Amino acid sequence: MFAYIGRRIAAMFVILFGSSFLIYNAAAYAGDPTEGLRGSTTPQAHQKLLALIRELHLNVPPPARYFIWLKGIGKFFTGNIDLGLTRDHTPVSTAISNAIPITIRLITLSFILAILIGIGFGIVSALRQYTRFDYAMTFFAFLMYSLPIFWVAVLLKAYLAISFNNFLLDGRIAPIWILSASVVSGFFWAALISGTRQRVIAIFAISGAATSALLALLSVTKWLTHPGLGPIMMLVLGGGIAVGITYISTGLSNKPALRSSLTVVAIGFIVYFPVEYFLKKYASLSTILVMLVVTLAIAIGVSYIFAKIDRRPVVRTSVITSIFVGILFIIDKLMKTWVPYVNTDAIHQRPIPTISQSNNLLPSGNFWFSSLDTVLHLVLPTIALVLITMAGYIRYSRGTMLEVMNQDYIRTARAKGLPERTVIMRHAFRNTLIPITTILVVDTASILGGAIITENVFGWRGMGTQFNLAVHNQDLNLLMGVFLFTASLVIMANLVADLLYSALDPRIRVVGKK
Amino acid sequence: MKARLKTRSLVAVVSAASVALIGFVAVPAHADTRSTVVAIESNTFTSYNNITPDTNIVINGDVQYLTGSPMFYYDDKLNIVPNPTLASWKITKNLPTDFEVTYTIAPGRVWSDGVPITAADLLLSHVTTSSDYSKAAGLGDPAGATGGAFNSVNYGGVYDAHIAGIPTLSANQMSITFKYDSQIPDYLLNGPGIEPMSVHALEELAAGKTSLGTVAEGSAASAKFVSDVTSKNTKALLAMGKVWSNSYNFTTVDSSTNPLLLVNNGAYRLKSVDSSQITLVASSNYNSGPALSGITTLVIKQGIADGSPSAQALANGDADVYQGQPTADAVAQLKAIKTATVLTTSSLAFEHIELRVASSGADTYTGPFAWSGGQKAADLRKAFLLAYPRADIVSKLVQPINPDAVVLGSVINLPGNPEYGHSAAVNGMAAYNAGTQASRTAQALRLVKKYYPTAGSATPIAINLLWGSPGNTRRTSEAALIIAAEAKVGFKVTAPATAGWGGKLTATQYDAHFFIFDQTANPQDAQACGIFQDGGGSNYTGINDPIINHTCELLQKTSLPQATITRYRILMEQAVAKDAFFLGIFQNPNVTAYNSALSGVVPAPLSPSLFWNFWKWHF
Amino acid sequence: MNIRNIFGRRAELVEVDPDADIFNKETEGLSQGQIVRKRFFRHRGAMISLIVLLSLLIFVFSTLGFKIFGIGYGGWWKYKITDIPNLRTQGCSIELPGCPTLDLIPGKNFGLGDHPFGQDDLGRDYFALVMRGAERSVEVMVVIGMVAGFFGIVVGAIAGFYRGVIDASLMRLVDFIITIPTLVIGSVLGYHFGSKGVLFLALFLGLVSWGGLSRLVRGDFLTLREREFVDAARVAGASNRRIIFKHILPNAIGIIIVNVTLIMSGAILLEAALSYLGFGVVPPDVSLGLLISQYQDSFTTRPWLFWYPGMIIIIVALSVNFIGDGLRDAFDPRQRRRISRKDRAAEHQSAAKK
Repeated sequence: MFAYIGRRIAAMFVILFGSSFLIYNAAAYAGDPTEGLRGSTTPQAHQKLLALIRELHLNVPPPARYFIWLKGIGKFFTGNIDLGLTRDHTPVSTAISNAIPITIRLITLSFILAILIGIGFGIVSALRQYTRFDYAMTFFAFLMYSLPIFWVAVLLKAYLAISFNNFLLDGRIAPIWILSASVVSGFFWAALISGTRQRVIAIFAISGAATSALLALLSVTKWLTHPGLGPIMMLVLGGGIAVGITYISTGLSNKPALRSSLTVVAIGFIVYFPVEYFLKKYASLSTILVMLVVTLAIAIGVSYIFAKIDRRPVVRTSVITSIFVGILFIIDKLMKTWVPYVNTDAIHQRPIPTISQSNNLLPSGNFWFSSLDTVLHLVLPTIALVLITMAGYIRYSRGTMLEVMNQDYIRTARAKGLPERTVIMRHAFRNTLIPITTILVVDTASILGGAIITENVFGWRGMGTQFNLAVHNQDLNLLMGVFLFTASLVIMANLVADLLYSALDPRIRVVGKK
Repeated sequence: MKARLKTRSLVAVVSAASVALIGFVAVPAHADTRSTVVAIESNTFTSYNNITPDTNIVINGDVQYLTGSPMFYYDDKLNIVPNPTLASWKITKNLPTDFEVTYTIAPGRVWSDGVPITAADLLLSHVTTSSDYSKAAGLGDPAGATGGAFNSVNYGGVYDAHIAGIPTLSANQMSITFKYDSQIPDYLLNGPGIEPMSVHALEELAAGKTSLGTVAEGSAASAKFVSDVTSKNTKALLAMGKVWSNSYNFTTVDSSTNPLLLVNNGAYRLKSVDSSQITLVASSNYNSGPALSGITTLVIKQGIADGSPSAQALANGDADVYQGQPTADAVAQLKAIKTATVLTTSSLAFEHIELRVASSGADTYTGPFAWSGGQKAADLRKAFLLAYPRADIVSKLVQPINPDAVVLGSVINLPGNPEYGHSAAVNGMAAYNAGTQASRTAQALRLVKKYYPTAGSATPIAINLLWGSPGNTRRTSEAALIIAAEAKVGFKVTAPATAGWGGKLTATQYDAHFFIFDQTANPQDAQACGIFQDGGGSNYTGINDPIINHTCELLQKTSLPQATITRYRILMEQAVAKDAFFLGIFQNPNVTAYNSALSGVVPAPLSPSLFWNFWKWHF
Repeated sequence: MNIRNIFGRRAELVEVDPDADIFNKETEGLSQGQIVRKRFFRHRGAMISLIVLLSLLIFVFSTLGFKIFGIGYGGWWKYKITDIPNLRTQGCSIELPGCPTLDLIPGKNFGLGDHPFGQDDLGRDYFALVMRGAERSVEVMVVIGMVAGFFGIVVGAIAGFYRGVIDASLMRLVDFIITIPTLVIGSVLGYHFGSKGVLFLALFLGLVSWGGLSRLVRGDFLTLREREFVDAARVAGASNRRIIFKHILPNAIGIIIVNVTLIMSGAILLEAALSYLGFGVVPPDVSLGLLISQYQDSFTTRPWLFWYPGMIIIIVALSVNFIGDGLRDAFDPRQRRRISRKDRAAEHQSAAKK
């Protein structure tokens, strides 16, 4: 096992050497770093040219220049790797290490959402193979897959930022919007649940009407401009979440699980005001982490009270529920921050931004302001990224699920009389996750390489920007830095995927017996 | 189903109840006038010292201008405006071989750390501009293989060639005299300036300090600088050169940044810089220039793509000011924003067409336009320029952005210059703009038919045209227009986009180039000599015309009265027109859009275009 | 080393299924090819896509004409991409000359008109530009798909079939290929060979895009080679080549098709991204990617410059993917149609009759 990993890592260095040599030379021949000076009419242009040739060793032919660069990389083995300087004299390692957290911030949420939504829709679409819902999902996935991102970005900015901000000045929803939203929601639920014609019509009507009522209410109460949840709403939403999670996790017939998760919600309701105060008084990330630990402890404690035997599913259910309740608390707090936030000089009533990753004009030191700011800056890029990456997951999970559903063990499970929920969740879903997990690992690696165009249109400054800058400024050191990072990540991810796959699927061995 | 409906309505009722429960948070009184401005910029800040070769870019210069008060600046009419609050100057000796300028710092001016500004701070620019000093002080030859200790772009100019000895300070350290060996032209532009950094901070940084010292320590460091320079203290200067060349190349500013690096004399100081934005706040010790009118915080969001992203940011209120070179469609988007004002101006960057002449012995080009081709080549050059669809390019590609754009009649006195009208009338370029395009094409066809009778129905002359990288939409369109127009008079133009085109400007396979020349200042020769003079840094045509060379020598040698400058400029351009190898096409349109509530924004043609009068901005 | 790929399938047992009768009836007496065809024709999305794609291709390639081996067809459209007619102002708003004349509402102006898709900045006919762009994009797509498909299948098949040292070294070659960023290599090639035409570029892009596919194919081969039918073929004396191409490959075809179609629709977008960076098709040639990146700001002002090329990209990408989906389903031996109530009722009826 270790010998195998060692061999793979050794191979990685050889591969990186080869491909970096190739890329270095290719890029060196492709770009001319002195190009920018050619159109300059300043008397010092020649001076600048000389300086540039000197600094970038342009008088050394690229294959030999590669080894000058490699000398710095070689220090990796002595512990102080030297990636060189960028064209603007920042160390490449600094440029990249500054960019990585930004990229992580940009992609984490969208990655999680894309996976959840993608896998969810993919599985439902597989279970409803060849229905209207399936076709609609396939169509939607491919459509999103083939859309240029800047196109999506322009639309999102126009409607979800500019128009929505204008709308928020008033906060009343026009009847036509209520009507259209109701129709869309009606179609969605009808397609998702499906059944006989009467049933479809009924679902359509009910979900449509419910949407209308909700939106009308939001409009009348101006909830959108003065959002908040409050204890009652928390209780209601929490209850819904508890029931839903119990249904998916263990089935409603598992009474201890249901009771335990509902109790967690009830505890949340009781401590609403103290927690609220606590979040306000000691607003910081560490407070939230402490509260997370407390929440988990409570959830586990509660489930131990309710479950006497077979505790694991009960604990699982209550823990998931408690995390959601915690998230509700955070959302509630952020919503309460909303009104003072939009009234700051920095925001001047336009909360959804179209560019940039944060707003430096906000009064500093206010944890909830900066948290809300971060969230709001994430809204548009996250939606854009989710829309375009989700397609792949819908397709993969649908395909895998279809395959799994045709396996004998599923037939056996059904034959044994297990409820459909158990068959799908426990037998099919878990096995679907094995191939998907390995895809995710490889994807994470490539996504960290940066969403070049997304970062560009939304003015974020992560790894994609670094790559873009490197290409545009003919910045060889930076380009190689980005390349080394992404390439080693991709190779490592492939190795991890191979190992993970054999770990998840016991039938597969990493090292064959000789 | 019923259960679902019930849940939904319950949710609705409860949400209403909870909204009531929360109560409406009291809206704080909203400030009527904002004191913050957000500007957007497509490039990124790379250094606080913008005079090293790699950091000499517009955004660094903008930040420098906002945080550092200069002795003079260009206004929107290209006039040099003195800043008497900081300094004054006068010519103290005005002889052909002995020319002296004395600069005096106004008393009481201080750096942001409270240390007085003295003439010693002007001495630094001698160190970063004079190659002779660099060599004499053991700092290396800036033009040599390893460069000088101060990695400056300023070496190699007029100052470098004509400065005589080390400038001398007055006894009270408030005046400094620069002595030149001739009456150099544009002595202000070519002379010293307040550099981005103060000399006392430089000394302290070189000594390894990491926090601000007292005023007395600062003054002492400033005095030490003077003695280090005059005594050519190589060790101290090398240490300072290292700081000067490298330490200011930071791209983040936060509480951990060494405050000595941020010592400045401008209206704003750098509060923070991260990869996405630069935050500038009013500097409390500022007394070196005009007072601010109300904007106390200025944020520059950097790396925001030109075009739709910028336009939408402005429409959404994410930004208040924008300047860039958007497409016609993006301009239309900007104009559609009800709350924004859009101004289109012409920058001093101009697009031109140039033909290879190779009259200089060093140039080995031998194509159809080469000087060696005699009258035939001259006729072909003239025909090519006559048929060149300049009017079409301007009306289809530039006027949709800037309706006032004109076909350039002069590239030395650009439109906006009071001399433009006169120049364009008499410099000989009018011949290429007379009549209609159809009549010019007919004239060109007659010229070509002298040598190629089939021209017009066939395209016997192959021309390779170089113009730029792929992805440059406007030039791509220009190339298409040119190919069609020149085909009518017998030229078969091949003009693919060429990545790395800059390095191919001297390659002999190309017969013509069109691209942009970017004028960065307005000296006596309007930076035209670099393009037209034999051996000029931007002479890619290989022209070697004695009249041009001579006028350039005159313009670059001594300070001349305005009328003479104009006469020489026209003489030069007449020679250019006669040789038929160079035509201006249009000035690059600069689009400025800003929140209509903001007043005082007046873009200028030269950098720092948008910000030149930032202190007048207010809501 | 025996790492089974993520899509590795397990041996199947004999089907015991309450609905088996219906399926068996469906495929009774049909050859594999006939079954596939039958299933494919029944896949509604795939069939619609196939028809749409074919008619689009015929339309596109006939518009401006083509020339293959000296036999040419001039095309039926009046403008070429190099023509620069005057900008049409009649009927357009003053600020936006060159608006489209396409009118699908029956009436006075019904029909294509002079410039159905409008004109670009210069006055060139946008319909001609879009059609030429579509030709280029489809060519790029097909070339990348074929090259990547060929290498992906051959390398994956050899690695999976022979295992051992061959597998290990081929997989390190794959690692090498997937570390090379397509955009970098694309821009480099665009720089050096841009003048040689876009097909040349597509060829090279194909050469660096097969890494993922070969991993998938290898995974399938690793499992399939252990199956009984392979042993049977081997015992019957079939050569390795025959086993690979005649016996194993047809069983792995589903995963191959899905991936090749994804690579193909990805190729159109890759070309668009390269053109966005300035390294795709070199003007004066055009591609759809070049057009939409050139006119990305036109979205709100002159939407026709953006919509038409964008729509064709979407139509092509969508249909290719749907066709791939249909083929995959058709080739999958276990894949079956959903049993509708009608089918079941029919089955019961016929059983009752018996």
